[in-house]
Amino acid sequence: MSETDAITVIVVDDESPARGLVREYLADHADMRLVAECANGFEAVKAANMHKPDLMILDVQMPKLDGFEVLELLGTEARGVIFTTAYDTYALRAFNVHAVDYLLKPFSAERFSEALTLARTRLRKSEPVPARELLETRRDGAAIDRLLIRDRSNVHVIPIDDVDFVESQDDYISIRAAGKNYLKEQTISDLEQQLPAKGFVRIHRRFLLNIARLAKIELSEKDNRIAVLLDKTQLPISRSGYAKLRAVLDG
Amino acid sequence: MHPIFTNGKQLALYILGYLPIGAVLVIGFGHADAWGTAAAFFMPLTVLYGVLGMTAYYVCRAFPITQQYRIWRALPAQAMAAITAGGFSVGIAWVWSAMLESLNLDVHPKMYLDQPWTLFAVGVLLFGLAIAFHYALIASLEAQRSENQILESSLLVREAELKALRAQLNPHFLFNSLNSVSALTTSDPAAARHMCLLLADFLRDTLRLGSAQRISVGEEFAVLQRYLAIEQVRLGSRLSVQCAGSDQAMQEKIPALLLQPLVENAVVHGIAHRLEGGTVSIHAECRDSALVINITNPTDADRPRSQGSGLGLNLVRQRLQAHYGASYLFQASEEEGAYRVNIHVPLPAGEVGL
Repeated sequence: MSETDAITVIVVDDESPARGLVREYLADHADMRLVAECANGFEAVKAANMHKPDLMILDVQMPKLDGFEVLELLGTEARGVIFTTAYDTYALRAFNVHAVDYLLKPFSAERFSEALTLARTRLRKSEPVPARELLETRRDGAAIDRLLIRDRSNVHVIPIDDVDFVESQDDYISIRAAGKNYLKEQTISDLEQQLPAKGFVRIHRRFLLNIARLAKIELSEKDNRIAVLLDKTQLPISRSGYAKLRAVLDG
Repeated sequence: MHPIFTNGKQLALYILGYLPIGAVLVIGFGHADAWGTAAAFFMPLTVLYGVLGMTAYYVCRAFPITQQYRIWRALPAQAMAAITAGGFSVGIAWVWSAMLESLNLDVHPKMYLDQPWTLFAVGVLLFGLAIAFHYALIASLEAQRSENQILESSLLVREAELKALRAQLNPHFLFNSLNSVSALTTSDPAAARHMCLLLADFLRDTLRLGSAQRISVGEEFAVLQRYLAIEQVRLGSRLSVQCAGSDQAMQEKIPALLLQPLVENAVVHGIAHRLEGGTVSIHAECRDSALVINITNPTDADRPRSQGSGLGLNLVRQRLQAHYGASYLFQASEEEGAYRVNIHVPLPAGEVGL
């Protein structure tokens, strides 16, 4: 493999000795070129954005963003991923997000080489990871308590309690929270499934409302109903949306 | 030994219980002109017989009535014992009557000996009663014993549970530490060796200290500092530690490793989630006849709502409960980006009655 074919790698781990170990192991593989070392998820998203690496060697437990959240934010930009963690409980999830391999700390140089061999094979085939499938399998089923939004290389973490409502815009959603709008590549139905059912109601094909923000429901002409939020924003309510809203409000 | 001898009051009650029986015999056998003779003869005789009746205990023990061994199995032996006792009673009556006659007290109980079969029958009957009494006694003792056993074993189970939970050293801590050792082996061999020694010391502490054991706050702090030194190798400058206590507080005893899960929470759910890290503060002092311990750490507002820190808190609460009953205080609260645990336990002078 020539120098131009080198596989670019970034290492993400909040523990400096752990990064050092991967650096040391990588040094034995001439075709691997370490382009960045990151100590947390934010740095990882930035570095991935800047370097567009072929391979990420990613810790799971990190401050701010865990390894899975980093992948979620990177979407299809993440190509090959090798997870490294002391926890064996994430193996299934790692498999679901099409990780190349899953290394349990502490791991040997031989085991690490095996993972790299798998990565080379995977990258050579360069099969695109199905984006839709990725997004849908990145969660492990539990309701989320915060939204992660990437805007270029910056990451916003929004507690779901801060969200007023979400509006669908084709393949994107616009999230209104704390007086700001955030755009995210996700469908509204997908987000609806992730949010806790008690707090958010799909009042319209295009709108997902945080119940806590609802001030009143007004009747407009032609029997259409309108949700008025605490900040006076008005959102349309569809017939089926009204039924869902009633069901939640009536307990 | 006969269980009735374990308690003087029980023995007295047992003997007294024979007095009404004696009175019945006096009335049954006595005549209007010789109540005195009947009383002098039967009352002591009955009490003496009561003592003889205690032997029924051993017969009952030898032939217990249980689910497998029904009463008919014990019946022949018990009948033999009763008949022997009946024979004894006639013999004792004869000896006692001779003694009374020789004392010249103007009582002549000899006439009762004219009805030996009646005396024999009364003897058999009374021994039968004694047998029934002893079966009841054995059954009640057995019930008490099994009740105590259940109580004892539930206490043991509880303590064992606590021990198991406490000894359940977080394996991920170990794996991560070993990974650090593995990394340092080539880059900094001296640091790797230092880490091995720290780990060995800490592991030895957790194995050595039993859950029922109490150690001084000073010793507990030494264990915590060893644990934190290991975490510092992993987290580097992100983790700093402040650990202090007043001289008196450092001498006070607390259940061993009580604070360890709390400090682990402070690192794993507090410091490790912060990009900039922070300081874990541990303080101990004596205040108003109580030992007061605080553990504080900064938190990250954006961290995912924690999984798993509740287990450690519950364990600490249970151990406090087991050691101090109701006389402890445990508070855990988070405000303004800081997590704080407060523990108050009574000083020894205040422990009277526990």
